[in-house]
Amino acid sequence: MNTSPSTRLQRLRRELFASPLDGLISLLLIGGMVAVAGSLLRWMLVQAQWAVIQANTTLFAVGRYPLEQQWRLWLLTVLLALATGLSWGLLRGLPAGRARRLWPVNDRVAVALLIGLAVLGPLMLGLQPLIQLRWWLIAAALIASRWAAGRWATAIPTGLRRWIPLIWPLLYLAGMVLISGGLGLIAVPPSEWGGLLLTLLAASFAILLCFPLGILLALGRRSALPLLRWASVLYIEFIRGAPLITLLFLGQNILGFLLPGGLAPDRVWRAAWVLTFFAAAYVAEAVRSGLAALPPGQLEAARSLGLPIPQALIHVVLPQALRVALPATVGQFISLLQDTTLLSLIGLLDLLGTARTVMANPAYLGRNAEVYLVLAVLFWCCCAALGLGSRALERRLNPTTDHPAQA
Amino acid sequence: MTSTLPTAPAVMIEARGVEKWYPNGYHALRGVDLTVEQGEVVVIMGPSGSGKSTFIRTFNALEDFQKGTIVVDGMALSNDVRNIDAIRREVGMVFQQFNLFPHLTVLQNLTLAPVLVRRRPRRDVERQALDLLERVGIHEQAHKYPGQLSGGQQQRVAIARSLCMEPRIMLFDEPTSALDPEMVQEVLEVMQELARDGMTMVVVTHEVRFARRVASRVVLMADGEVVEQAPPEQFFTAPQHERSRQFLSQIG
Repeated sequence: MNTSPSTRLQRLRRELFASPLDGLISLLLIGGMVAVAGSLLRWMLVQAQWAVIQANTTLFAVGRYPLEQQWRLWLLTVLLALATGLSWGLLRGLPAGRARRLWPVNDRVAVALLIGLAVLGPLMLGLQPLIQLRWWLIAAALIASRWAAGRWATAIPTGLRRWIPLIWPLLYLAGMVLISGGLGLIAVPPSEWGGLLLTLLAASFAILLCFPLGILLALGRRSALPLLRWASVLYIEFIRGAPLITLLFLGQNILGFLLPGGLAPDRVWRAAWVLTFFAAAYVAEAVRSGLAALPPGQLEAARSLGLPIPQALIHVVLPQALRVALPATVGQFISLLQDTTLLSLIGLLDLLGTARTVMANPAYLGRNAEVYLVLAVLFWCCCAALGLGSRALERRLNPTTDHPAQA
Repeated sequence: MTSTLPTAPAVMIEARGVEKWYPNGYHALRGVDLTVEQGEVVVIMGPSGSGKSTFIRTFNALEDFQKGTIVVDGMALSNDVRNIDAIRREVGMVFQQFNLFPHLTVLQNLTLAPVLVRRRPRRDVERQALDLLERVGIHEQAHKYPGQLSGGQQQRVAIARSLCMEPRIMLFDEPTSALDPEMVQEVLEVMQELARDGMTMVVVTHEVRFARRVASRVVLMADGEVVEQAPPEQFFTAPQHERSRQFLSQIG
């Protein structure tokens, strides 16, 4: 990292202009990239009319969620920011085994990006000053809790620190109550959820439930009991053999009969369950590859120490299998997030569905490019966050590469 | 070499007429009998494919068998899961490939089963685990991961892991076959120490020197049957059966 600018320039020259042909290819590619970036930038700054986004930010964010109840969503966002900062600080602020570094380089970059996004985003979207301020405060809360967690995490006793990840399921339950009402809050039916809120809700619901379901299916597929094994195989192969959109339409029609009463009361929940069942089959295959990668001696060793099968699975088999399966599983989560756009095809107002209603408004005729670009950027942000989180988790779970062996 | 208890030594393993067919129809064990008394060190030798590993893996139900009976420490092996778990708590096993848990530290490898299965307080188990690690000479590696240790060290950890359950019998399935030659000795020394302390052991191995020094009895298996069993001195100098002589000439 301490190369001087001149040597870095020399290296660049060596890599890009090693021979005349290399130089020609480099020049063509650089020229092409500059041309594309330039015309995109010109379009964004000059031709594009961002009013279509600016006038509809609330619609894109939460759909037709009642205005007077939106404080609940703000509260949830603040809680999410605090929890994210806390987990971030615990995962990255104190790498296990090594000397502590409060802010690794990548984290500084992330914070800079976050601040940039929090400052520029609301400004560019032309939000009301009060709402701009809220976003700035939320970003500040996230960074502050990241800092505090990294700073004081070692002061928390280890026994207690192990339970901290539990704030996520608790927060999820609290979030469901905040969003849908109950416990003294006015009920807001799912038909009034929309936009990013609906997209994230459907995706997170499916992600959270498809994971344990996928693990059970993968274990079922490798079970010694023939009935369980064949049922799992049948399920996985059926789901993987059908397009998601078909299943979504099917789900709207039959899920009401299949699930016990109250679990799929309306179209939103039915769609969320279909996403869950769909993703579970793919997660099962990812987990199965993790299980297959495990030497059979691991289970034998656990069993010969007297561990019953459930404990052997929980303490020996799954921790290793899931680590192997993690990248593929997160890939599945990311495509699940993108698959939620299909909800718009069954008439739900997710992010894409909302966008389509906005574009159908004659006032915004021909403004499709702006809307789709914003949609793409939003999805990219969500998926990038998932990917970053999973990579941090992967490093955390991989003790042998974290502490390289002493030769 | 057998322990000199005042009363008649208890029988720890009693196998009678054990027969096993693999699902593909291969007849792996053809009526094997073996009795192991408390404190005995029985070394099982034989050419590969003779069924010796399969045989000792039936003692803690890692392999099933179709005919015959096996009684381990007074408990008859049956298909009842609780019975199998009870036997496995009393029988330690050391594998050719070590089979340490790579995602746990050395210390956690040792404490996992005693805490979960025997429900002993973690603090006690950790103290005992550190003692055991000291005994097998890797006390200072307690907080490393298995992948950071040499093969010999890993196998010694595996032995300590089994001992941490305080088993009454130890089974060794070719414990030194996967090791580099210079690491074989450190593992054999630990096993020898264990035998001296009176542990009942059944060892599948090709290490003739170990068998001569430590074994109370050497058993030769071939083609799924016990061909000969004799005290080591007699077995290695004056084998009774043609098959034994043939085997000894091949490994000698």
